[in-house]
Amino acid sequence: MVDASLVLPKPASKKREPVRLPLVQHYLREQQRLTAVERFSQRHEADALAPDARYYRDLLPLEKPGPGQQLAFQVDLDACSGCKACVTACHLLNGLDDEEGETWRSVGLLHGGTPEAPVQQTVTTACHHCVDPACMKGCPVGAYEKDPVTGIVKHLDDQCIGCQYCTLTCPYEVPQYSKKRGIVRKCDMCSDRLAEGEAPACVQACPNEAISIRIVETKRVLEDAAGEAFLPGAPSPTITVPTTTYKSRRPLPRNVLPADFHRVRSAHRHTPLVFLLVLTQLSVGAFVADLVLGKLGGYATLGVARPYQSLLALVMGLLALGASVFHLGRPQYAFRAVLGIRTSWMSRECLAFGLFAGSAVAYASLFWVEPLTQRFGLPVPPAALLATLRNALGLVVAGSGVLGVLCSMMLYKVTARRWWSAARTSSRFFLTAAVLGLSTTNVALIVASLVEGRDSAVRATAFGLLHPLALLACLKLALDCEIFLHLKDRGLGELRRTALLLVGELRPYSLLRFGAGALGVLVLLLVGATPGIEAEAQLASSVTAWALLLAGEICERVLFFSAQSAPKMPGAVGP
Amino acid sequence: MKAPPKLVTGALELLHQRQGPLTRELLREPGGFGIGQVPAGKKPDATTTAVCGFCSTGCGLEVHLQAGEAVGLSPARDYSVNFGMACPKGWEALAPLRAKDRATTPLLRNERGVLVPATWDRALEAFTRRMKAIIEKHGPESVAWLGTGQIPTEELALLGAFAKFGMGVVHGDGNTRQCMATAVVAYKQSFGFDAPPYTYEDFEQSDVIVLVGSNLCIAHPILWEHVCRNPHSPEIVVIDPRRTETAMNATLHLPLAPKSDLTLFYAVTHHLISRGWIDRDFIDAHTTGFEDLARQVSSFSLAHAAAATGLPTEQIARLAQLIGTGKRVSIWWTMGVNQSHEAVRTAQALINLALITGNIGRPGTGANSITGQCNAMGSRLFSNTTNLLGGRDFTNPEHRATVAKTLGIPVERIPDRPSLAYDQIMEGILRGKIKGLWIVATNTAHSWINQADAVEVLKRLDFLVVQDMYTTTETASLAHLVLPAAGWGEKEGTFINSERRIGLLKKVSRAPGEALADFSIIKLLAEAWGVGDLFRRFSDPEATFQLLKELSRGQPCDITGIEDYAMLDDKRGIQWPLREGERVVAQSQRRLFADGTFFHADGRAKLIADDPRPVPETTSAEFPFVLLTGRGSSSQWHTQTRTAKSAVLRRLYPSEPYVEVSPDDAERLAIEPGTWVIVESRRGMLRARAHPTHVVRPGQVFVPMHYAKANQLTFPAFDPHSRQPSYKHCAVRLRPVEAADQAT
Repeated sequence: MVDASLVLPKPASKKREPVRLPLVQHYLREQQRLTAVERFSQRHEADALAPDARYYRDLLPLEKPGPGQQLAFQVDLDACSGCKACVTACHLLNGLDDEEGETWRSVGLLHGGTPEAPVQQTVTTACHHCVDPACMKGCPVGAYEKDPVTGIVKHLDDQCIGCQYCTLTCPYEVPQYSKKRGIVRKCDMCSDRLAEGEAPACVQACPNEAISIRIVETKRVLEDAAGEAFLPGAPSPTITVPTTTYKSRRPLPRNVLPADFHRVRSAHRHTPLVFLLVLTQLSVGAFVADLVLGKLGGYATLGVARPYQSLLALVMGLLALGASVFHLGRPQYAFRAVLGIRTSWMSRECLAFGLFAGSAVAYASLFWVEPLTQRFGLPVPPAALLATLRNALGLVVAGSGVLGVLCSMMLYKVTARRWWSAARTSSRFFLTAAVLGLSTTNVALIVASLVEGRDSAVRATAFGLLHPLALLACLKLALDCEIFLHLKDRGLGELRRTALLLVGELRPYSLLRFGAGALGVLVLLLVGATPGIEAEAQLASSVTAWALLLAGEICERVLFFSAQSAPKMPGAVGP
Repeated sequence: MKAPPKLVTGALELLHQRQGPLTRELLREPGGFGIGQVPAGKKPDATTTAVCGFCSTGCGLEVHLQAGEAVGLSPARDYSVNFGMACPKGWEALAPLRAKDRATTPLLRNERGVLVPATWDRALEAFTRRMKAIIEKHGPESVAWLGTGQIPTEELALLGAFAKFGMGVVHGDGNTRQCMATAVVAYKQSFGFDAPPYTYEDFEQSDVIVLVGSNLCIAHPILWEHVCRNPHSPEIVVIDPRRTETAMNATLHLPLAPKSDLTLFYAVTHHLISRGWIDRDFIDAHTTGFEDLARQVSSFSLAHAAAATGLPTEQIARLAQLIGTGKRVSIWWTMGVNQSHEAVRTAQALINLALITGNIGRPGTGANSITGQCNAMGSRLFSNTTNLLGGRDFTNPEHRATVAKTLGIPVERIPDRPSLAYDQIMEGILRGKIKGLWIVATNTAHSWINQADAVEVLKRLDFLVVQDMYTTTETASLAHLVLPAAGWGEKEGTFINSERRIGLLKKVSRAPGEALADFSIIKLLAEAWGVGDLFRRFSDPEATFQLLKELSRGQPCDITGIEDYAMLDDKRGIQWPLREGERVVAQSQRRLFADGTFFHADGRAKLIADDPRPVPETTSAEFPFVLLTGRGSSSQWHTQTRTAKSAVLRRLYPSEPYVEVSPDDAERLAIEPGTWVIVESRRGMLRARAHPTHVVRPGQVFVPMHYAKANQLTFPAFDPHSRQPSYKHCAVRLRPVEAADQAT
């Protein structure tokens, strides 16, 4: 039995002596020798295929789903005892990322009842393979597919550009973003396994057979969703119509709450998106201001400022679009973002802002045709032609810009967060556009007046903008304050959580947001109250006001993302 | 039709890419070997079954191998313990091996007090020189070791043999003192040997299952699987102060006042006797002490128990009725019983219940202690600490002679007295009597009761050697010498699980750097000490297993019928006893005492009872809450030295300590859910997030034991018979964190 090479050499003397290095080396060498294969017989045939189906035969449907049907997870809550083997089995058998601790399943906890009859219920959850998958609808590149037969919602990893929009549209935190890869990944119900008659990893691994795959009638799922029948503490099933069935013989008490219900924590800040939104809105606002002021007061009031105005607006717009690239995990594939045009507001936003950027470049260039051709002694195109072109392009720029902002608004509105409701988001986005657009115009006017020889008419126009601008900025601040009314809400609803974050964890951003905004308004009013102000002083104060208002809006947008607190699946105790 | 030009298909592909490197990353392929699909690239070229190295359930894990090296695993299906299932720890068993803080070379503390890498030669020299110097100066009782239930029996036996017979050390104990000492003593006194009588199939055959102080769903999820497989719709009684996950699934939950269990069981015993719900024939034929027991419990009325436990008398009567009238009643306990100031008597009260109702030796019955660590049973039989190798007695000259003969060592090298217990070793260090300590595969500085004191005690040592897989454990950071150990999966050996099943572990992963199996380390130390010759017969783990067989001959744990490791592998583990000549089929399920013969000289079991004693630390106006501790989740193992190494497991438990408190108490103390609170005992304090839940009763709080500071609160009380610490009861107070606390 004993390997002869393992028998130790007899020490030369029994007296105390240092151990000879070779013995240490012997053990170190032995330690690196793997012995399981050579010492023990192989129990299973190398070509033995799927494991014995008796282990999960009852947990899989016998046939394929028919028309109007699909596959779905069923969770027997009475059998789920919270061991979480499903999470680890899914991780291991599907080869998910070890370093990132990637998991496609999670286990939460509901608890409630009374001291006499306490209740706790663990809940295992994964992708619900929704009837109306919001991940798929929102995806700008068509990286999601719902299988026409099985209804399984699959993610095409190589198609994904890593925009992470699906992590916002899915109410169940299903798509998991992998920083390392720059894409999201998610549960596909182990469709390869199901195709071979093998149970999904989680189904195989549950010691208590709590998870099974069942065929569901789409119609019934829709009815259940309409009746808000899904799982206590979970997001409303009306959003995406999840197909998972949670069943139990023992009704949960009415006061049941997720274990993490009282945890109010900020969400991802999405910094590149903050700049994308604020700067596109600034740019659109400035171009629209150019158009509106031109129409209202005749272009004479803007006069020499228009080239500067449009250039400034253009630069900001291009910066914004540049910023958006940093939000993508795989920006090299950004061009795919228009593929989802039929369902995705993100694709529509991309298209609208693409048109906006293109036309804005042309529009802004037109203002420089005359001065540049003159300067370099080239033939100057007819002024009438340039004017007609400018007028037409001006409409395209403003139109596509407004459309873009509208798409931005819809993009967030469809995620069904109350903090991102149509009313809140559109008032935010369009007022940001108005405030920053006008403020930028104001700066451009004064710059132009200085560069182009102290044009007093242009300066007067700038002066005239101060009060409307201050008024709009005040309106924006007032509307932004609305959320604080929800501090007094009963219960810990979505908006109260947001309000609590604003006065709690995110307080520094709130202070900056309202501080900078109010200071900006103050500067505007001070200038407005000084009619004889020097041009240089007017420029300095306008730029200050612009910077303050911009900073305020950027903080507002940081809060827009990080103070959102959408309903989610019940979580576990503690962070 | 011509196929579209390549450029077009290429462009289309670029626009909408269905396949590619990212998709390939998650492809699966048939694994073969009956294991279903595995991630592409992880397809094994061989598989082998190893028993899991976390808890004592002893699940079989099918390790997927490529060129002999583990690339994945799945729970073994043809293994009667777990039928293809595992808890998260088992699934993630390979992850802790790849941790960045593995000990890869010996570390020696230098003059500046910093641990620096050293060669093995230097480490062996330091161990020998310093330990010998201490022994020379202060005598053999001045050096001790603290072992474990986490390493194979072969290594435990070699460790105990080398320390006592080679180094001449007298005192050694293991962390099994913290989990199983009570069951050991209770069984020894009642049955005549430390013999858990059951097999896991009993869970499936009972019509009444009584779980005492056991949150099976979380602590032993795979044993709960056996309960779920029971086709008899059993009554499931859970006796636990908390409404645990297991209690949720009970047909009867008795949320008794903490540590009122002994009174409860005596009242049940009395009720059974007075109602005649006992098996008189069995009592007369197979037990002694019934009259004394009846007298002892006669004063324990239902009303008395109701007052002590806070339970309605009907519930207690119902429990008695279920035990008294059930046909196949099994009673199971774990740490809620074992970790108590009167643990042994409580365990024996349960043993008494099984004995007087004749619920032993038959399928679906038994008074069954569920073990904690993977090899607590191996430690109990072969660690050579409290018992001489093979469950023998140091004070018995015949036993010493047998062991000396079997091992071929001079009999005078075997001490004639047992070791001090863990708490007494700690006490010895405190009193300056013990100067040198060798800790193997346990984390005393985290797990020992009243931890703050324990750390101070360890700091008093002249020489502390810690042999561990990691350099970062709380204990290793206090060491003068760290010896880098190979872990589960990196070595061979056997574990003995709760149902006495001996399972194999396999060498399927390479230890990092110069880490060595504990077996090799001890062999090297023996050579360095100059006693290598004494342990020639321990040439390798399997040869040592052959020695263990010989050591077991004639003992209740006789395993002379097991041929070798290959047989253990083929039979999917074998339960002791298996005497020479006895045969066994694969995946067999065998229980003890079918013939009613116990291990006392008269063949009878003893019925033992005592008066309940008050808890050592009662609640007061100043410290009004009872602190309960226990397992937090099935993804955490004890002091977390291994489970915290898996990113996946880390996602499955709260990263911050939390305290369960009744919502009524929380409201009264103005403690908001999720906010930080201070849990404070007379010994220490812990910052934890409040989790108000009705799961705990008013007046009680619960803190999981895995967070390092939990044991700064616990009160160092010990069961007088088993010397097991009472982790489950001490007095604490609770308050919200104030500004003053934030600064600290």
